[in-house]
Amino acid sequence: MSTYDVIVVGAGAGGGVAAGVLAEAGKAVLLIERGREMAFEDVPRDHLRNHRYSRYGHNTGPSLEGNPRVLVDLDGHEHTLRPHEDAYQNNATGVGGGARVYGAQAWRYLPADFEMASTYGVPAGSSLADWPIGYADVAPYYERAEWEIGVCGDSVGSAERWPRDRDYPMPPVQLNRQGALMRRGAEALGWSTLAVPLLINSTPYGGRPACIHCQHCIGFACPVDAKNDSQNTLLARGRATGRVEVVTEAMVEQVNTVGGRVVGVTYVDRDDKRQSARAEVVVLAAGAIETARLMLNSVSSEHPHGLGNAHDQVGRNLQGHYYPGAVGLMSEPVHDGIGPGVTTAITQFNHGNADLIGGGMIADEFVVLPIIFWARNLPPDLPRWGAEAKGFMRDNYTRVARVMGPVQEIPSPDARVTLDPKVRDRWGIPAARLSGAAHPETVRTAEFMYARAGEWLAASGAQRIWGSPPKVKLSGGQHQAGTARMGDDPASSVTDRWSRVHGHDNLYVADGSVHVTNGGFNPVLTIMALAFRAAEHVSRAW
Amino acid sequence: MILTMLTESQRATLRALIDRIIPADDFPGGWEAGVGGYLDRQFAGDLCHQLDMYRAGLDAFDIEARATAGVNFAELAPDAQDALLRKVELGDVVTDWPIEPAVFFHAAAEHAAEGFYGDPGNGGNRDGVSWRMIGFEVTG
Repeated sequence: MSTYDVIVVGAGAGGGVAAGVLAEAGKAVLLIERGREMAFEDVPRDHLRNHRYSRYGHNTGPSLEGNPRVLVDLDGHEHTLRPHEDAYQNNATGVGGGARVYGAQAWRYLPADFEMASTYGVPAGSSLADWPIGYADVAPYYERAEWEIGVCGDSVGSAERWPRDRDYPMPPVQLNRQGALMRRGAEALGWSTLAVPLLINSTPYGGRPACIHCQHCIGFACPVDAKNDSQNTLLARGRATGRVEVVTEAMVEQVNTVGGRVVGVTYVDRDDKRQSARAEVVVLAAGAIETARLMLNSVSSEHPHGLGNAHDQVGRNLQGHYYPGAVGLMSEPVHDGIGPGVTTAITQFNHGNADLIGGGMIADEFVVLPIIFWARNLPPDLPRWGAEAKGFMRDNYTRVARVMGPVQEIPSPDARVTLDPKVRDRWGIPAARLSGAAHPETVRTAEFMYARAGEWLAASGAQRIWGSPPKVKLSGGQHQAGTARMGDDPASSVTDRWSRVHGHDNLYVADGSVHVTNGGFNPVLTIMALAFRAAEHVSRAW
Repeated sequence: MILTMLTESQRATLRALIDRIIPADDFPGGWEAGVGGYLDRQFAGDLCHQLDMYRAGLDAFDIEARATAGVNFAELAPDAQDALLRKVELGDVVTDWPIEPAVFFHAAAEHAAEGFYGDPGNGGNRDGVSWRMIGFEVTG
């Protein structure tokens, strides 16, 4: 059996950072990833199979067969789902994880995002809590992520909203027509705008070139490697030390314990052979659903309900982001083809809204693929066939603007991941079973932000506005979080303030699972920052 | 070539149907733009389980057209084809269809859009013609 200092499970945004930091600290690291290593050419620009439009599948893993999940819907009916089906709550697998194909929005959470319960009180039926750490604890690691992975943004505008000690390393990406128009609309409303910070090279950075403003950013890999994530930064640095061994297409089945103490993992390799590896420390970074599933499946006589689950907390508080938004038909063309497309955000509704618990950010949208425009952006009363449908596509693809954004969700203990008693994946491991729904306060905030989206489009000159009002559903998706949340009290949390599982001083979590709340912002920079912080703690303590 | 597994009249009806879902104007109609090529590829892949629905639906279109107008669907004038499609879309048919008429029509409309507006790598959207039409240019 091979022995390492640290085993990291999952090579996404958090796992890649952890592996890199630990290798540079001199640790021998085994990084296990269930997806593949993917060059640009291995991630096709398939408009029907990608993480923006997964009509028939994806351009990365997981494969459609052998990776089922079970959804218990709001009426209690069970559905066995494949990864590209609605409500599976999928994220990309592969080295880099979802970040390989993300839109790369690089938001810090606001100070108040770490103190939701004390700011607003705890609504009935929710498990809303403060984080055990505050913004000031995370800020140095946000800064490391911004500089060591690479973020472009408006340092002055950001500093008006967030306490920050250092500018972004790069200025914002080029403004496009949609953004310019939406900024005029915001100005008319008296709303303050901010250039969206992105993990994208607006100038050459980190030995890689600047963004070429293509139209296939979100949902796809970058053709010039100007999109920054952990695999082309921290993990690359870690690999350069020679101390990271990356095993791909391998599924971790269990975290192993001896006498209750974590000693390593068992995984199934790409030849379907079971392998075990030992380590001083195990770091779980498989995403909020898969990390919870792995902890729950790591059953032993000392831990009959799984690791870290003595208080039935693992897998609870699953959350993501409701994404209310609206579509507007503008009086002038707004699509000029300059990607990535998202340029302009409104952050003044993240807090301070009368009668709401928190709020959300709202921003203009990435360049939209033509088939997505057809599937999701046509007016509801337009026929889907015939001369009228074709004419609308021809005349208005360039004249439609979209705004949308993530809502800070109010956690519900009933929105959860458990193990399905019957359905198993292709390795024989019990499938994740997803049940529950978002808290009503989340839906209320989403309705409020939906109205703001329409208001912004109207002020920006939309002749007509349409969209879908938010509905009650289970949330998770690419922004999944919360299933192993931090806290000082083991009775109501899974991990401690260092992202270490309560009762296991050598088991850490380095993905969105540890988020107590998920901010009203894209979560990846927080995942990266907390991975830096946890990995630093590992290297100090071990 | 899965489409060769359809009868001649099924193929003619399919082509006529696709060309009413995405009719020719200054830009090509659905068939000329490659929707047939897209379907041909998909019937061997993701849509292999829907070939039987297509066979049944295309036959039903012709039976419906003969019952209401005396000729096969493909032989109707475009306006008459559209009028029939509007009825099918509402499930307002006079003959006994073996499948739900509106379900088949909506599936065909969606598949036609995928073939027309999707990436040429999927077998349709010949030379990116729909992207030129709407102003989606790939620059990098």
